[in-house]
Amino acid sequence: MDKMPEQFEFPWQHSFPPFFTLQPHSETRARQISVWRALILDYFRFAKTCTLDIREASHHPLFNNASINRKLDNEFILAALSDLQRTQNAAPVDKQRHRWEIYWHTLEEWGNLIYNYVTNRGATGSVLTLFELTQGEDVQDEEFCGLETDVLVKALRVLEGEGKCEVITSDDLEGVKFF
Amino acid sequence: MGIIFGKRKHASRVTEQDKAVLQLKQQRDKLKQYQKKIELALAKDRELAKQLLTEGKKDRAKLLLRKKRYQEQLLERTDGQLENLERMTHDLEFAQVEVQVINGLKQGNEALKKVNDLLKLEDVERILEETREGVEKQEEINALLSGGLTEEDEEAVEAELHDIIEHSLPNVPEGLLPVRESESEEESLPDVPTTPVKEKMKSKVRERVALEA
Repeated sequence: MDKMPEQFEFPWQHSFPPFFTLQPHSETRARQISVWRALILDYFRFAKTCTLDIREASHHPLFNNASINRKLDNEFILAALSDLQRTQNAAPVDKQRHRWEIYWHTLEEWGNLIYNYVTNRGATGSVLTLFELTQGEDVQDEEFCGLETDVLVKALRVLEGEGKCEVITSDDLEGVKFF
Repeated sequence: MGIIFGKRKHASRVTEQDKAVLQLKQQRDKLKQYQKKIELALAKDRELAKQLLTEGKKDRAKLLLRKKRYQEQLLERTDGQLENLERMTHDLEFAQVEVQVINGLKQGNEALKKVNDLLKLEDVERILEETREGVEKQEEINALLSGGLTEEDEEAVEAELHDIIEHSLPNVPEGLLPVRESESEEESLPDVPTTPVKEKMKSKVRERVALEA
């Protein structure tokens, strides 16, 4: 996740020093947070990654713009992430809220994307491995191609709650059956 | 139907066959990953061999190529195995579909049997018998009723019938008339007068004139 995708274009705010300081005025701050929200989601969507460790975030090109010598402090990042969590676009993985998962699609949206794909292929009623759902040759053009397994399983659990699939994790079997 | 355990309550819909299919698919995934690994190694070896050749280390390059060739053979073999796995997977899935079809047929059969049980043969016979009895009874009643009427009403019926026939009699000849006319015409055609008769008549007149003159 540390590798910076070359093509990602940061918005103008990213080169604007005050953008990296939490603004005191509440209205301005809300605006600032909302831009950061969008930026974080865009960036992770572009990089196709989901995980972020706040402790390493100061080295992250997203939160550290060396060209203007500004970086976001951890508190600010936490504030932005908490705001994302409010809309289910992020979730802390550990209790210390250090490691986070960023969902540029919410888990529910991921679930629907996957379920649509499965029904379009007529694969309901059959079992699929987690590997072929995210790495298989058939999913190369799908948005969830390369999705991290942890996130995939969480999205599938949402579907499972709706009775649309059943996740299989027993006897070193890892797969999912769709209905 | 506990509320607390409601979520976990419904039985798993994953069958043993599903697990077997999954096992096969997982095996396939592993083979694919293995292939990827070998393919990457092959590309790397090729580059390395090239480099060794430029450095003049022909023997080492050859060794490397030999290793590469062996790995290529492995790759081909895994392709065959992959095919086997895929076929097995499809066979299993198809067998499951077949089981579903059989189950569907079985259910249909049972339903048909139940419906047939409702229609017992004796019942059908009994119902038909009862219907026939009903019909016979109805006929008897009809006979009785019409029989009771005959004494007086039969005469009235006859009378009415005659009445109708009489009233409609004059009409009958009208329809037949033209036919008779044509027949009588033919029969009553006057004989064609012969010429001698005319001459006689003429001569008679002349005679009369002559007499008068």
